[in-house]
Amino acid sequence: MIPVRISAPIRILATLLFSLAVSVATGHAQENSCVTCHGAMPGKYGAPVPLWKSSIHAENNVFCHECHGGDPKDLGNAMKPDRGFKGVPKETAIPETCGRCHVGVLKDFLGSAHGKRLGSGGPTCVTCHGNHAVKKASLEIINEKTCTKCHTYERARLMKQAMQETEGMITTLDARIESLKLQGKASETMEQGLFNARNRFHTLFHNVIAEKVRSESAAIKKDLGTIGAQIDAIEQAEQKRKMVGAAAIGGLLLAALLFRLLGKTYDN
Amino acid sequence: MTLVRKLYDWVEVRLGISEVIEKEMTGYLLPRTINNWYSLGSVLLFAFTLQVISGILLLIYYVPDADKAFKSVSVIMNEIPFGWLIRLCHAVGSNLMVATLFLHMFSVLFMGSYKKPRELQWVSGFTLLNLVMGISLTGYLLPWSQLSFWATTVATNSVGAIPVIGEYLVEFVRGGKLVGPPTLGRFFAVHVAVLPLVIAGLIGAHLFFLKRTGISAPPTRNDPATTTRQGSSYHYDKHEGGIPFFPNFFLHDMTSVSIYMACLLGVVFFSPYLFFTPDSFVPANPFQTPAHIKPEWYFLANYQILKIFPSEIIGLTVQGAGMTFIALLPFVDRGDGRYPLKRPLFMVCSLGGIAMFIALSIWGHLS
Repeated sequence: MIPVRISAPIRILATLLFSLAVSVATGHAQENSCVTCHGAMPGKYGAPVPLWKSSIHAENNVFCHECHGGDPKDLGNAMKPDRGFKGVPKETAIPETCGRCHVGVLKDFLGSAHGKRLGSGGPTCVTCHGNHAVKKASLEIINEKTCTKCHTYERARLMKQAMQETEGMITTLDARIESLKLQGKASETMEQGLFNARNRFHTLFHNVIAEKVRSESAAIKKDLGTIGAQIDAIEQAEQKRKMVGAAAIGGLLLAALLFRLLGKTYDN
Repeated sequence: MTLVRKLYDWVEVRLGISEVIEKEMTGYLLPRTINNWYSLGSVLLFAFTLQVISGILLLIYYVPDADKAFKSVSVIMNEIPFGWLIRLCHAVGSNLMVATLFLHMFSVLFMGSYKKPRELQWVSGFTLLNLVMGISLTGYLLPWSQLSFWATTVATNSVGAIPVIGEYLVEFVRGGKLVGPPTLGRFFAVHVAVLPLVIAGLIGAHLFFLKRTGISAPPTRNDPATTTRQGSSYHYDKHEGGIPFFPNFFLHDMTSVSIYMACLLGVVFFSPYLFFTPDSFVPANPFQTPAHIKPEWYFLANYQILKIFPSEIIGLTVQGAGMTFIALLPFVDRGDGRYPLKRPLFMVCSLGGIAMFIALSIWGHLS
């Protein structure tokens, strides 16, 4: 067999035509032409698709055009500038692109030491969060490998330590409130409290002033402690109910025994 | 003379109360061989009373409005003093009442107490079982949770399988094309007004039939193969030489009622969510169908039968035929013998029927 070398542009064109045929046949063109076409492409043009599919964005139906623009419903014209296609956002435009959805975070970032160095060697959102395989934000993002790309890890370590306990408290409280909800307990106030505390906590993630992180974390922990105490009170009430219930059941079984013995006495 | 004695004498002069007590309590004789299964009737009377009382208490705070029903139940459970206890007693009580009704029916079945001259007791009792299941079904919708909403949607859908009138019947039951606020209004009225009155009336009739025929004695191996009852005239089973209802059997009843209450409180305090799924605590959302909506355990067999057959109408017909057969059992099984071990065909059919009911329920639960 004679090996045939096909140039890259021809391969891409062939892939596009194949994708077009497939998408027309399956009706996917109306759903998302970016994923359909790029998913079938080799190399750097196709690589983002599996990464995106593993991301929290895919999980929440945030598609390519949200960041890159274009018209995913029109395969032929999807990447035309007049359809809003922007391609890869410039470095300085990245925070603004992400901030269209993550409004509060954009403000926090721009106000931070990281944000103030935007365009002059400072990090952007994708430096820490990645671009296509974006995962749900957690404290794990603050790690030696990522932070030491730009500076030493010492300050970041201190901030992470201050936040770790709070993160643990939030996770535990969330699970406890969910458990109460499944029992029909009134949990709206606690849920709202936790929601507010979590939002305040998340604003700390983009703040890089160690002292502020420490003091804010302490204030948030205090609020979380109040919510925890409310849950404790409900659980203690449940325990008390069980004790009263056990006494009532014991009394009823004793009464049953006495009725039985008395009945036997009469029968005899 | 004490005040109580004076009051008793006052009533005695006017109503002859001592004669009533003598006739209905101390002079009302029951067979010496009577067993604890006979006290299930009293347990059911107690359970029904408890449902009525707890239901009335719930009515004080429950709001039968689709926008407010779920919230009102949440308020009862979380804010009203002892609201949780009343609501759980009502919800758990309905399940235990159905379970006790099944046991009562099985005991009557295996002791052959449905036979002549007690056919009316059987028919009224079987009707009561169905009415209690009906009142449970209508009550299921009232909390207006996801479970209530979708379980009612599934249950009312099956009515649509009835030829010709099915579609109209579904619309009549729901008060519209879909389950919605009018359905809640209808189910509420039926649950709190219509069915309790019908059930109370039928309980009265059931007890009247019991009093007129006299209670049946438990069957024994030595019973004659044919009845000693002769002729076709009315006869009351007096059980001369038997034990008085009061205090003897009343104490048996109290034993059973205490055990029933202990079981009820056992579930209420230690496994309160036994009959609730997580969907019970989510407000009804007509636009979001939860996965795996199942009916209450006592409807699982019916649910599974509807799924087994290729069309719902066949499933409904099979169920209708089965129910009619059970309702008319005393008119089908006309033999005199009552001792179960001397009735092998009856035993095989009955145990087979119960096993099938259990198997279908488990299948329905797991499917």
